[in-house]
Amino acid sequence: MRQGVCCQCGMSASIRSFYLLNGKMYCEPCVWKASRDAQTKGEPSEYVSLTDNSVCVRCGASSDATDFQLVGNQPLCSPCSQLIQDWPYPTWLKAGLAFVLILLVVALINGRKYFHAGRSLYVGERLVDEGHYEQALPYLEETVRVAPESDKAVLLAGRAALMTGRVDIADKVLHGHSGGHFEDPGDDFRTVEALWEKANRAFAKADEASKLGQQGGHDADAARLMHEAAAMYPQAANLAIAAEMYDEGAAFERKDYDAFLSIAQKQWRLFPGPETAGVVASALACKYAITGDEQYKKQSEEMLLEAERGSQQPEQKKRFEEYAERIRYRLASRAIIDKPEYDKKFRSQKSQ
Amino acid sequence: MFFIPGPVIAALTFPGVIIHEFGHLFFCKLFKLKVYDVCFFRFGNPAGYVVHETTDNFTQFWFVSMGPFFANTILCVLFCTAAFLPVWVLKVEDLLAYFFYWLGISIGMHAFPSTGDLSNLWSMAPERAKHGNMLAIVSVPLIGLLYILNFGRILWADLGYGIGVGILGPLAIFRALARA
Repeated sequence: MRQGVCCQCGMSASIRSFYLLNGKMYCEPCVWKASRDAQTKGEPSEYVSLTDNSVCVRCGASSDATDFQLVGNQPLCSPCSQLIQDWPYPTWLKAGLAFVLILLVVALINGRKYFHAGRSLYVGERLVDEGHYEQALPYLEETVRVAPESDKAVLLAGRAALMTGRVDIADKVLHGHSGGHFEDPGDDFRTVEALWEKANRAFAKADEASKLGQQGGHDADAARLMHEAAAMYPQAANLAIAAEMYDEGAAFERKDYDAFLSIAQKQWRLFPGPETAGVVASALACKYAITGDEQYKKQSEEMLLEAERGSQQPEQKKRFEEYAERIRYRLASRAIIDKPEYDKKFRSQKSQ
Repeated sequence: MFFIPGPVIAALTFPGVIIHEFGHLFFCKLFKLKVYDVCFFRFGNPAGYVVHETTDNFTQFWFVSMGPFFANTILCVLFCTAAFLPVWVLKVEDLLAYFFYWLGISIGMHAFPSTGDLSNLWSMAPERAKHGNMLAIVSVPLIGLLYILNFGRILWADLGYGIGVGILGPLAIFRALARA
């Protein structure tokens, strides 16, 4: 450490505590006085503090032999000079940054399972907004599988399901969400609630129609109720189908076999299967019974064969055997009797 | 409005401070500027700093000052994007996702350049822009906006920025993906 001596008072101390004024070295109290005197005399009065170039300004290390190298007018020892030229990243920082990158990878991997669900949600939402409910439903169901507690996903899925007549799916997703409770009953909730209530009223009416239909002889009333249910909730295609099936029964009841055959054939075209084939066979047998036209008999037998071929499951086979027996009787006897009457006449000892 | 001491906020969001200072140091080293002192985190104001050599080169100064803004913003968007869906949209109770969301917002909150850096940039940018410096021309509006927003720090504009980026960034990404 360099020492200095005040030219005024002779005080000796570290050179860093001295000042330079007009080429002379002063201690702090003396430089104030000397500066004022110089100002009075009209001489330069500005002074600067002296630096000790043998002391590092950064770490305070001193060199007795030589001055330190000046970096930006500041004396710095060799290690500090090296340090500021190329400040190293601390090991903990490097480890920390590596850890952050690992966390980022983990975050993205952890988020991956949600990305798919989230994308499905946004796609589903867009499709719902565009009115493409049928297309939206699979996307929204996928989201609900991952996030059954998401209000948004559940309400959108419920709405898409109800708008496509899928009350079973709507019931599953809506009641799978906190037992049907929603925290914020906003517009989306109210829309779904209104649809849900409408669907329930329609199905209650359909249930009533079904009970009437089961009683026998009330197919006309059952058809009326079922048509009302279908009109109330047109999104449920099965209600309209059920209504037509009751129309068939009503036509049979009022002995309008042309209407019976026409509806049965329409159902067969729309939903070809053993059950609809059996109904066509029944209607054709009625037409044969009334007209005696062998053509109807032949067609009826063909449709009965079609129904038999399609009845693969045990339940279907059992049903086929039941109605095939009655249709064959109708074809053989040309007598048109309904099931209760047939049962009473021929099956009273077996069942019912 | 309740008062939360700065050091408490800094402690709760320390990863953002460290990454911000790392950004300064990285660009100083990249442009071979002398670094006199570095503090990555402390309980004080500022919570971290990098004392470095000044430079007349606007591009170098821009990157040293604004680098952390972009690095912190990008990291905030990435972490928050990974956690956005389970936390905000799907309402899935995933603790890991909540942890990543905190990390993202902590980083985003410390994206703002310091007042000193913004003042220097604001004093240099218009002049450089007049002389046709493209970076200055392009960044003048951003610097101006940040300069104004910086005054809002007293009203937690920096926290607002972190949360805003952490919500709007992922939302924009997922909306764009849904349209794709």
